[in-house]
Formats: sequence, structure tokens, C-alpha cells
Amino acid sequence: MNDQPSETPIFSVIEAALANDDVVLFMKGNPQYPQCGFSAAVVDVLNRMAVPYNTHDVLQSAELRDGIKAYSDWPTIPQLYVKGELVGGCDIVREMYESGELNTLFAEKGLVAEA
Amino acid sequence: MSVAQEIRTRLQAALTPIELEIIDQSDEHRGHAGWREGGETHFHMRLVSDVFTDLSRIERQRAVHKALGDLLEATVHALSMDLRAPGEV
Repeated sequence: MNDQPSETPIFSVIEAALANDDVVLFMKGNPQYPQCGFSAAVVDVLNRMAVPYNTHDVLQSAELRDGIKAYSDWPTIPQLYVKGELVGGCDIVREMYESGELNTLFAEKGLVAEA
Repeated sequence: MSVAQEIRTRLQAALTPIELEIIDQSDEHRGHAGWREGGETHFHMRLVSDVFTDLSRIERQRAVHKALGDLLEATVHALSMDLRAPGEV
């Protein structure tokens, strides 16, 4: 994490996006037309979880694409955030889904009913 | 040195893996974004290391990012990873 995120304009945009929605996915493309297999896989998991989420397409903005990598010091996309915190990318989301940890996380945050 | 060898060298230096498997999956992504002639763009790796004990998933992956450095930025388009501490199934 950057110490003073708000000093970079794109970080303010990212912070606003994270404040706006509990579950936020920065991805390539959109849920209907994902432009990358890893982004598609995370969308698939979120759809199965039946949790409300919002997505932002980094292919629409080079500033956002670079900004989100710098914001969390995480070099790859997709990136899933829950309540403002980075959960991870495709590998982590898929592992957490399969192990049930993702459901536990969403339940703890009050986003889905307890399993 | 091939990209896979370079990945291996950097991971061995940084994470002293007990098991390390790197699979070039580039051919499965022929024609996709990021793919280029000659392959070596899409990889999967499985790495078991003592270093990962007591690290979260995020921390494990950060350790790999750090070890690979500019390789991830410039050369490798996609790298999926399975990172485990010894004894984890």
C-alpha cells in the first residue's frame, strides 16, 4: 500500500470505486465480455457466489490499468477487493472459492448469508 | 536462457523451493492476447517452499512477484501459480 494514496489522482478514483461498492473487481473487459481468461474465471466465481459486485474495465483506461497495479503493489489483473481490501487475483480467488474460504469471507463481511 | 529457465533460476535463488514445476502453457493460448510466436508467454507453476509457512496467500504471491521482478512486467504475459508450504495438500 502507498502511504499517501490520495496524492495521485488515479488513486482517488480507485479509492472512490472501493468506497462505492463492497465487492469490486478490476478486470479486462466486462462480465458479459471478459477479455482475458483470468478475468472471466473470477467473474464466474462471483456469479456462482450470488454476491452483488461492481467491475471496472482497465482496458478502457491505461491510467487505471497502471494505477491499480501501483495502488496495491500487485502487478497483475484481475484484482478482487472486498470492503476496500485486496483479496487477490485469479489463482487466489479460485483457491478460496474451492476451499470455502471465499464464502466465509463474504459471510464475515455480511455480504452473503452464513453457509 | 529460456524464459522458463530464468523463472526457475530466480525462484530457486529467492525461495529455495522443495518442489518446483514450471509448465509452459503458451500453446494453449495461441492467438490470444499477449501470445507471441515462439511461445514462452503463458506459464503455470507449482512451488512448495518452507518460506511459505505462516504466510497468507497474498503474501506468498507477493514473494513470487518480488523474486521474478521485471520478468512479470516485460516478458511473461500470464503466470498462474499454486504455492504451498510443506505438508499442505
